[in-house]
Amino acid sequence: MRKTSINLLERPETGQILALSLLLMAALLPLTPFLKGQVVGFLLLLFGVRIAALKWSAALPAPWLRLLLTLAGIANCLHAYQSLTGQYGGTALLATMLVLKLLELNSKRDLRLVAILIGFLTVVQFLFDQSLPLVLYLGAVVLGALTLLVDLNGQPQAPRLRSALRVTTRLALQALPLTLVLFVLFPRLSSPIWTLGIDSDQGLTGMSDSMEPGQIIELVLNTELAFRVRFDAPPPKADQLYWRGLVLWETDGRRWTPGRFPTQSTASARLQTSSDPIDYEILLEPTKQKWLFALDMPINKPDKSILTPDFRLLARQPITSAKRYRVTSALSYRTEETDPRLRELALRLPDNITPRMRTLVSNWQIQTAGDWELVQRGLAFFNREEFRYTLLPPRLGANPADEFLFETRSGYCEHYAGSFALLMRIGGVPSRVVLGYLGGEVNRIGGYHMVLQSNAHAWVEVLIDGRGWVRVDPTAAVDPARVDHRSASRVLGTGNSVRFDLDPAGPIAGLVKQMRLLADTIDATWQSWVLDFSAADQLALLDRLGLGPFGEYGLAALMVLTVSLTLALILLTLMRERTSLDPLETQYARFCQRLAQAGLPRLHNEGPNAFGRRVCVARPDLALAVGQFLAIYVPARFGPYQSHTSAAQLARQLRRFRPRRRPSVPSHRLGAATPAKRSRSKSSGR
Amino acid sequence: MTKRRAERFARRWLRGLLRRVPCGRDGIARVGAREIYILPTRTGFLFGTVLMVMLLGSLNYQNNLGLLFTFFLASVGVVAMHHAWFNLLGILVQVRGGPPVFAGETASYEVTLRNSRRHPRHDLRVGAEREFARPVSVPADDQLAVSFGLPARQRGLQRLEELRVETRHPMHLFRAWCHVATDAETLVFPHPARHAPAPEYAAGNPQRLHPSHKKGTEDYMGSRSYRRGDSPRHIDWKAFARERGLVVKEYGSERGREVWIDWSQLGVPDPEIRLGILTRQVLDASDAKVRFGLRLPGVVEGLAQGAAHTQRCLTRLALFEHAQDVNQPPRAT
Repeated sequence: MRKTSINLLERPETGQILALSLLLMAALLPLTPFLKGQVVGFLLLLFGVRIAALKWSAALPAPWLRLLLTLAGIANCLHAYQSLTGQYGGTALLATMLVLKLLELNSKRDLRLVAILIGFLTVVQFLFDQSLPLVLYLGAVVLGALTLLVDLNGQPQAPRLRSALRVTTRLALQALPLTLVLFVLFPRLSSPIWTLGIDSDQGLTGMSDSMEPGQIIELVLNTELAFRVRFDAPPPKADQLYWRGLVLWETDGRRWTPGRFPTQSTASARLQTSSDPIDYEILLEPTKQKWLFALDMPINKPDKSILTPDFRLLARQPITSAKRYRVTSALSYRTEETDPRLRELALRLPDNITPRMRTLVSNWQIQTAGDWELVQRGLAFFNREEFRYTLLPPRLGANPADEFLFETRSGYCEHYAGSFALLMRIGGVPSRVVLGYLGGEVNRIGGYHMVLQSNAHAWVEVLIDGRGWVRVDPTAAVDPARVDHRSASRVLGTGNSVRFDLDPAGPIAGLVKQMRLLADTIDATWQSWVLDFSAADQLALLDRLGLGPFGEYGLAALMVLTVSLTLALILLTLMRERTSLDPLETQYARFCQRLAQAGLPRLHNEGPNAFGRRVCVARPDLALAVGQFLAIYVPARFGPYQSHTSAAQLARQLRRFRPRRRPSVPSHRLGAATPAKRSRSKSSGR
Repeated sequence: MTKRRAERFARRWLRGLLRRVPCGRDGIARVGAREIYILPTRTGFLFGTVLMVMLLGSLNYQNNLGLLFTFFLASVGVVAMHHAWFNLLGILVQVRGGPPVFAGETASYEVTLRNSRRHPRHDLRVGAEREFARPVSVPADDQLAVSFGLPARQRGLQRLEELRVETRHPMHLFRAWCHVATDAETLVFPHPARHAPAPEYAAGNPQRLHPSHKKGTEDYMGSRSYRRGDSPRHIDWKAFARERGLVVKEYGSERGREVWIDWSQLGVPDPEIRLGILTRQVLDASDAKVRFGLRLPGVVEGLAQGAAHTQRCLTRLALFEHAQDVNQPPRAT
């Protein structure tokens, strides 16, 4: 049987219940976009009941009704998510149960439980979103919960919120260095122990693994960040920033796909010659794909990744959270000759090659001597003929390459790269399409390049005897005069793409751009220092401290040491505090000092009563003031009364008490004349 | 019974192990660093469990923000532990026994807590056994008196061996406490018997000593403040209505009579019951305003009258054959 009467001290106050309810609401607010409407509705209903019950306690549901509501809440979550354990179902259940608990707050312990679980709720939210504003917001919520915990333990005092906040602030400030130490040094897992229903089908935009007309345009319209790059040395020129992602070998005449290219072939990617190596670090946004991007041509691979023979970098696991890696690329290079099988793959043609395409290429072949000249001839074709670059091309039918080359003649990189690669294959030059990004926006504030999704690009590589695979960008061959800026600005709006040099002039637009760059810098710092901090970074730190060989034990030892040191520092700051005299003693000391100045020093073994009597005898003119002072001091000091008011009273008395020295009376003689009396009254005083 | 004895023994043994805050010469105990004990409360254990779950989850999903918040909360917990400890450190405690009480009543103890820091100390509870005063906070540079009561079970000097000072500041996650050795005593008079035979009058003619009904007709002698056991008839209600407190009118006719309250006159074998009867007799005699004396084996309190004399006699009864310092006069309380 539950105890019906709860200790008066443990009964929560209405204000505290209200504060807790509001805090829980605030903690749940950022979750609402991720929860289904029916769950949010149920939570709102419960909150409504809670708030109403603050005013009319009859609105508080009876125990049987609470049980019913609990069952309804579970059923609601089950109905919405079909499961109670996954990321969404579990979170919904946690939220429902916490809000239900608000209807049953009998003692302060219940409030404490909910306040502590608010902390848990904030951590769960980071599975959904990890942005800096959310962290600041939830940080405030957690501080609120801590303040409530402090207040629950305190006594009702006048500036209540302020005194609780003061305590919390002190706690939080002292906890911060400790947090930092733990965060940096606490050993991490390098791979999960278990995976439990953390859904990963959030729609992520980004490159797909094939190329079809009209696909890249979605990316071009997308101004989200693809990755950031920080170069160790001065960055290369903008026209060298070809970020290689995927290589497409096969086409059915409409779609380009990687084909059956053996990704883990025995042949390793090797460059015959390479120069101008450049080191850089890439912070890749999650893509849910395995490919990593690198400048043409990567010559080493990051940890836990593969470098395929066609120079793609592949991670072992799909990238579900931001990934940081270092690569070295050679800007000038010459690839090795490919083996015949691949050469054949790079020449395979789809069925929908039209006669006029063949005629076009055979005309070129008559005019040219070698493969490379044929490539030049093809580029010249795109340049001389009426090809237009536009982001709003007309729709293409069943045979897009033919229609593009001979009829519409307007399109963007996909159209150019796809059709150019086909033309080269018709002409007997092995070719493949490369998907990736071109260029990048320089962020001078952060000192890095931002490569956006709108930087997506497609280009071609052709295999030339004696030169290996050579990069050719047919899109760049289009006469700049025929680039349709209007379509770009129509599609993209202003200031969205660097490719079109659409950056508007003007102070406000410039300021906006600066703000955007600053925001991205903060975001990048956040990414790399907080979100992306990993076991590898810890080991790097250990290495720098010369503790590398000890590995994770070194880390643990360092953590324990640093935590102890930090705690010792905190304790020192606590202990350093000045301890002061009793307020009464302070006043009494002043009283004695004043009398000493007037020529009546207190003897060291003299109690206040004895001293007072002696002063009264010596200086009857002071008797009244001295008597008044002692009448307050003696009972306050030796009696069981509170001193707060007494000390203030004494201070008031002393303000008026300015005894002057009276030279005519030799006070020291009087002082020496009453030893017997003195000792007796002292004992009575104590 | 044996179980209880074993329990008491175990408790005493444990108490011997525990460090206590010694009381200084001036009767003030200063709580030192090594005398403070600290353990998590139930809330603290819950907090720790939730943190553990958060830690495991965040580690597993490699969620750095989750870790960051977990570490922050854990750090707050650790700092809170130190604050709980620090909240007791250096506090000055002085314990005094309260006024004498009769056995069966509640003996009160008064504790003065002095804070000599620039920061207030919060949530301090003082008490012993299971009786605790309401939690108080002591403002910076100040002192505060709190009192709590313990049941007075036996007559004699009830000595508070140790006082417990506790705190759950700042967040109720940890309970820090210390045991303060005290010598605070409260005098406990024997529990007065409900009825008592009238003692022998010195003149030799026994007379009823119960408050006489004739009193009202006697000469009015004066007024004094109300004492336990006074008849409501003699309360000066007019004075009470004038808010002068409870005042009793005294009448002089009882004066001049003398009575001896004598241990040997009673035939009850049990000494405690005897003492109870004697106590009642003393109270009755005091109420009746007669001169009375007290004779106990080995102790004689001569004929006298007045509050001080009553107190003296009651003290004799309280300390009669008491384990400690029987012949010593009790401390002025």
